[in-house]
Amino acid sequence: MLTRLFEFLFKYRPVVFQEGDFSLGVAGPVAAGAIAAGLVGLLALLTYRGVRGKTRPMDRLVLGGLRFAGLAVLAFCLLRPALVVSTVVPQQNFVGVLLDDSRSMEIQDFGDQPRSSFLQRNFGTPDAPVVSALSDRFAVRFFRFSSRTERIDDVAEMSFTGSRTRLGPALERARSELASVPLSGLVVVTDGADNSGEELTEALMPLQAQGIPVYTVGVGGESFERDIQVSRADPPRTVLTGSSVVVDVVVTHSGYEGETVSLIVEDEGQIVSTEEVELPDEGQPVTVPVRFTASTTGARAYTFRVPVDEDEQVTRNNSQTALVSVEDRREKILYFEGEPRYEVGFLGRAVEDDDNLQLVVLQRTAENKFLRLNVDDGEELQGGFPDTRAELFSYRSLVLGTVEASFFTGDQLQMIADFVDKRGGSLLALGGRNSFARGGYAGTPVADVLPVVFSEGDARPDGYHTFVKLEPTPAGLGFPALQLADTEEESEARWPELPFLLTYNPLHRVKPGATTLLRGVAEDLPEEHVALAFQRYGAGKSLSLAVQDTWVWQMQLPLEDTTHETFWRQLLRWLVDGVPDQVTAEVPRDRVEPGESVAFTAIVNDSTYLGMSNSIVEATVTTPLGEEIELRMDWAVDSGAGEYSADFVPSEEGLHTLTVRAYDGEDLIGVDEAYFQVAPQRSEYFDAGARMPLLERIADETGGISYTPETVAALPEDIRVTGAGVTLVEEMDLWDMPILLLLLLALIMGEWGYRRVRGLV
Amino acid sequence: MMGRRLSNPELDVIRERRFQPGRGARGRGAVGVALAVAGLLAAAIAFGRSSPRFAEGAPPPSAAHLPSPAHLPAPGEAAQQGRALPMHEFYFTRMAYSGGGGGFRRWRRQSWAIDYPKSDRQFLIVLERLTGLDMFLEEHPRLLTDEHLNRFPFLYAVEVGSMSMTPEEVAALRDFLLRGGFLVVDDFWGTYEWQNFEYEMQKVFPEYPIVDVPLEHEIFHNFYDIEEIIQVPNVGNGVRGWATHERDGYEPFVKGIFDEKGRLMVIVNWNTDLGDAWEWAENPYYPLKYSTYAYQMGVNFIIYAMSH
Repeated sequence: MLTRLFEFLFKYRPVVFQEGDFSLGVAGPVAAGAIAAGLVGLLALLTYRGVRGKTRPMDRLVLGGLRFAGLAVLAFCLLRPALVVSTVVPQQNFVGVLLDDSRSMEIQDFGDQPRSSFLQRNFGTPDAPVVSALSDRFAVRFFRFSSRTERIDDVAEMSFTGSRTRLGPALERARSELASVPLSGLVVVTDGADNSGEELTEALMPLQAQGIPVYTVGVGGESFERDIQVSRADPPRTVLTGSSVVVDVVVTHSGYEGETVSLIVEDEGQIVSTEEVELPDEGQPVTVPVRFTASTTGARAYTFRVPVDEDEQVTRNNSQTALVSVEDRREKILYFEGEPRYEVGFLGRAVEDDDNLQLVVLQRTAENKFLRLNVDDGEELQGGFPDTRAELFSYRSLVLGTVEASFFTGDQLQMIADFVDKRGGSLLALGGRNSFARGGYAGTPVADVLPVVFSEGDARPDGYHTFVKLEPTPAGLGFPALQLADTEEESEARWPELPFLLTYNPLHRVKPGATTLLRGVAEDLPEEHVALAFQRYGAGKSLSLAVQDTWVWQMQLPLEDTTHETFWRQLLRWLVDGVPDQVTAEVPRDRVEPGESVAFTAIVNDSTYLGMSNSIVEATVTTPLGEEIELRMDWAVDSGAGEYSADFVPSEEGLHTLTVRAYDGEDLIGVDEAYFQVAPQRSEYFDAGARMPLLERIADETGGISYTPETVAALPEDIRVTGAGVTLVEEMDLWDMPILLLLLLALIMGEWGYRRVRGLV
Repeated sequence: MMGRRLSNPELDVIRERRFQPGRGARGRGAVGVALAVAGLLAAAIAFGRSSPRFAEGAPPPSAAHLPSPAHLPAPGEAAQQGRALPMHEFYFTRMAYSGGGGGFRRWRRQSWAIDYPKSDRQFLIVLERLTGLDMFLEEHPRLLTDEHLNRFPFLYAVEVGSMSMTPEEVAALRDFLLRGGFLVVDDFWGTYEWQNFEYEMQKVFPEYPIVDVPLEHEIFHNFYDIEEIIQVPNVGNGVRGWATHERDGYEPFVKGIFDEKGRLMVIVNWNTDLGDAWEWAENPYYPLKYSTYAYQMGVNFIIYAMSH
């Protein structure tokens, strides 16, 4: 509105004044101006010089001033003021018009029309107003962009089916394609809902360097009136069959404050969990921990959805689907215990029915005497605790019972640390007479790995003990391994009912980055005891469980109670989840578009988990129809040790299986599988509100202008004045600006009015 | 949070055992005294002037020795007394059951207390020397109906030939074993006593029979390798070199009760007396091979109980 008023009064758009230089049409403008001003002033004085009678000096001053101003406006016009502007030469320059062809353009928030209707109306035909005006001045080249960018001859080729919006590559493609012609600028018509995750700066830099302005036309509402969106749900990529899984699901909304909706988890169409969610104030995302059991083996597509409300503007952002590889395999855990202890027996019993866990026990029953349980053969752990990396690293997790640090050699202590740090295994340290500070672990490499802080001085004397009740922290309530019941409320209510546990190792602090999951409370403890804490360390993770006798739960709770079994099964499963094998296959996204290139990677390690860059890595992609496509994966010098990659372009929709086999010469090192779904992406419907600030930033940084549907009509003229390319200097007269006429009339009428009021006529 | 009062009755009951009047001073030192007395008694046995069955050095237990719930302090009371004695991983808990002579709370010795407490103490001393186990080095009897029984997952029972458990005891023992407890039965002989024991155990586990435990079973190999089952005689027969059996118990057996998953819950030493071999190990007239075997069996039982 203001811009239009400005244009009406000053004849040109503000941009012309910004770009142009002011000049007067007569020679010697300063001298001529001074002479004219002097003449005008003299004339004004002369006209009122002889006036006497009723006038006061003030009247004469006012009237003289008004007359002077009126004459000055006239004199200004006579001096032929003009703006000198560099404008592009008609029909000698090009303009690239980039049109958003993604699915989000079909969202109906342009009035009650889809966003694409604006595009069709203004850019759809040669007769459309903007196209027509541009064509009068420029050679126009059209591009459409979404996940890919391509030249189009006719806007009718637009389909609005693109799976993603990638602004950066679109600008870069248009710039490079028009690099050989004089380019006045690029026009981008989009909702700005870039979901590529790519940094724009890289694409803008060459445009800035070449002085090519980008004109953005933003279409669509920045937020919706009523919409619910399931923004994120990231379940673990792999879990063991029967594992309890807790997934944090992020829900955002607009217009549903205080309302309660259902969040449903489906395993391939079958509902496995439902949570009621009360939605907070608009703009605040809510994180909902949902829990379910991964009971069916194989690649499972879990859907997390909120049922669509009939008022919603965008209905396709109400669900997220994620692939989880539910694996029915036996994971080996080494439990090393330094003395006869009931925990060994009860822990073993708790997980003996779990076909996916193999708890190998090495128990020191006397000096240099060991009991081995659940070993694969007579040779396993024959020499006691492993003294080579290859032997220790063959396990996925290590449970360290109460054994003094001096039992281990320095190399073995470092090996345990490397087990977590380098191999990516998990370590669970149990409390006991010879654990933590009491076991002399302060200052050892193992202490570095553990999530708790302790020093030599924390070691309590022999005989020290205390009983504690365990309480979950807020983080613990949502921790998968601590779910003792079907719902969070029921689970929370279970903990106070559990018997006291004994601890010899009071711990009060965790390391930065570590999380306390269970705290122990007791009347004789000056500070809360960190009963269970975890942290990620290097490639792996570590846990400390500083209590002595969880077996008491089994012996003292009612016989039918399964708390002890549930706790240990879940804790050990959590320990082994995500621990890598020697060969690991990775797919960057579990959902890709047909025709979209996918870059697979495979990590290949030797038995000590050092990357192998000289192995032969073969990949097989099995399509939904059973076709097997062989690929050779290569190691590149610039990639990490043992990291191989290959590209693949799927054409068939459905679940694909990637199988990676790595060989050392002719010996098989390992095999791993990963899965991905080939299907149309729905990411265009997430966070699909128009992003005007992003479009303004692009325009600002490149010297362009950002427009809305209301202001887009000025685009062709603005490019003429501000664009790059082949230009000429043009003088634009200012003497005939309506503002000058209006000013002159106002001054004359002011003088006349004043005289009427003062009775001088 | 920290100001909240959390009292733990389990803690109290464990500590309370250490503070019974007249028992607090006993410890390792008392063993030496008991051994000295035992030496004298052994000499008497050698001259055949006394029955070994009733010649133990320790005084017969009475109700005052039994930590029944009636003797427990109120929650928190023990803590107020400022005691912070060490806790232990293992307590050699002797099972006190009903039946077995004279009524449970009478002054005279009941069958559960045969060889008590010397046998227990001597076994514990050797057990500590042989293993890295953190244990309470004194005798530790518990009623089957003790509400804190499940704090102590190992039970040792003797002379079960005259055991006659009450329904409450039957239920408590079943519950104890099914949760994960372990029972070692020892020192009962002959057909008659077997029948009584079998009858009692059928009340506990009607669904699980008592079966032979083969020598290949892990319990015979987890610490020591036991190659054969030998009959361990009582001290009287042992020191005199007489026949090792009692009554018609000519052949020793190690039997057991397994749950449906194959976990051994009860191990039964029939027609043998490991307890006497522990108790009289220091007696130079008692054959060393019996004591050695008995200690090996005892260690294996405990290692198994704690690791399964």
